[in-house]
Amino acid sequence: MIIHLWRYFYTNIFRFWLKWIVRLVTGKCELQRICNGTRKNAERTLRIEYSLESSKYKSLQNAVNATEDEVEKYVAFIIEEKKIKIQKDIGFASKLQLCLLQISGFRKLCLAVEDLRKQVYNSDSKEHEEQLMELWNLLMPHEKLKARITKQWCDIGFQGDDPKTDFRGMGMLGLTNLLYFSKHYPHEARQILARSNHPKLGYSYAIVGINLTEMAYCLLTKGLLKSHFYNSVPGTPQLNDFHQFYCYLTYEFDKFWFEEKPESIMYFNQYREKFHEKVKRQLLDYNVVLALKNEK
Amino acid sequence: MGLLSILRKLKSAPDQEVRILLLGLDNAGKTTLLKQLASEDITHITPTQGFNIKSVQAQGFKLNVWDIGGQRKIRPYWRNYFENTDILIYVIDSADRKRFEETGQELAELVDEEKLSGVPVLIFANKQDLLTAAPAAEIAEGLNLHTIRDRVWQIQSCSALTGEGVSDGMNWVCRNVNAKKK
Repeated sequence: MIIHLWRYFYTNIFRFWLKWIVRLVTGKCELQRICNGTRKNAERTLRIEYSLESSKYKSLQNAVNATEDEVEKYVAFIIEEKKIKIQKDIGFASKLQLCLLQISGFRKLCLAVEDLRKQVYNSDSKEHEEQLMELWNLLMPHEKLKARITKQWCDIGFQGDDPKTDFRGMGMLGLTNLLYFSKHYPHEARQILARSNHPKLGYSYAIVGINLTEMAYCLLTKGLLKSHFYNSVPGTPQLNDFHQFYCYLTYEFDKFWFEEKPESIMYFNQYREKFHEKVKRQLLDYNVVLALKNEK
Repeated sequence: MGLLSILRKLKSAPDQEVRILLLGLDNAGKTTLLKQLASEDITHITPTQGFNIKSVQAQGFKLNVWDIGGQRKIRPYWRNYFENTDILIYVIDSADRKRFEETGQELAELVDEEKLSGVPVLIFANKQDLLTAAPAAEIAEGLNLHTIRDRVWQIQSCSALTGEGVSDGMNWVCRNVNAKKK
């Protein structure tokens, strides 16, 4: 209760007065202080984002929703609105611009990922079918698929004889992720697939992959990947950057699973949650970059 | 109907804990049903590796619903979850006609299990929202459900996606939770 009250008073009243006093003393507004006082990493962008979002001016709040093309216009607008003397703070405009680019880029990425997720896997689509076949060929280069509907799909960890029902709520995002990992890290993908056939510690490679897509997706939509992207991508993050993060999860999850040695596959969800918590803790760090480095 | 309202209806049950087991082939809709019961988001579901469990507790009384993955590879583990089951809910994808035989066989094996003997069975003829779904009566006939004589059973058409028919099935569950024949 007391904490709630304090938070209410702080965000609605004290924060404003505090900022006003500091502005009088330093002659700089909060955005300038953040740009000058933080290193060029996620901390700066996150604090700029928070500052803009909690601004009392609608026009400043809207800056976080700017599209890539509007960023420059918003920077000029903020400088004018906050009466910032850029002659005295030469780096400010470019720093703010970079932050806004990252903020708008992250939001755009969320929409792109959502679009792909909403695309249901469709067996009538030539494009979808080709991607599925490509996945097989990358993972099983020495074995030919005997038919489109076959038990062989279980060999790469789908549940039954037709993978189409396994993508479910992750749609084409699930397949795209699996394919990206197999294409860009073929050695690792085949190695993990081979390990997933372990007689005791084994798991179903493809559907665990789809589960990890869901993990990556949740971390993204909850905003937890902001630090990671703000640190690792200097401009606007692209879909590939999301796929790269997925690759990291797949690789690390496999390592985690074999280190933990679960009793059986039936405990998957408990260990998945444990792994999820571990990743979430790592993402709290302002300096975090979670990347698989040895891309071929 | 949410898990809490089921729990309230069940409170006449003498046991302190009620255990419901959800089984069925992969892609039958077990997890969607579980999430629908728990009023959770059903748009991000992925195949179940292992199991999911939802519990609700009120006034010292507990309801546990176990949702076990249906993939052939993990069906041998089903038996680890049979003990103390009060109700078995068996979920069928009514539109997947090609697998009616397989699902019928799995159900027949469950009914023969000693640890599940006498346990009331609710069969959800799920996915009735799909145009190609077979009606419950057709499934009942195809699966020879009338040959089940050693317990109470019911088939209920439903759509876990829209929620239609789910409450009717769960009302039956509440009425029959103590109908286990010892």
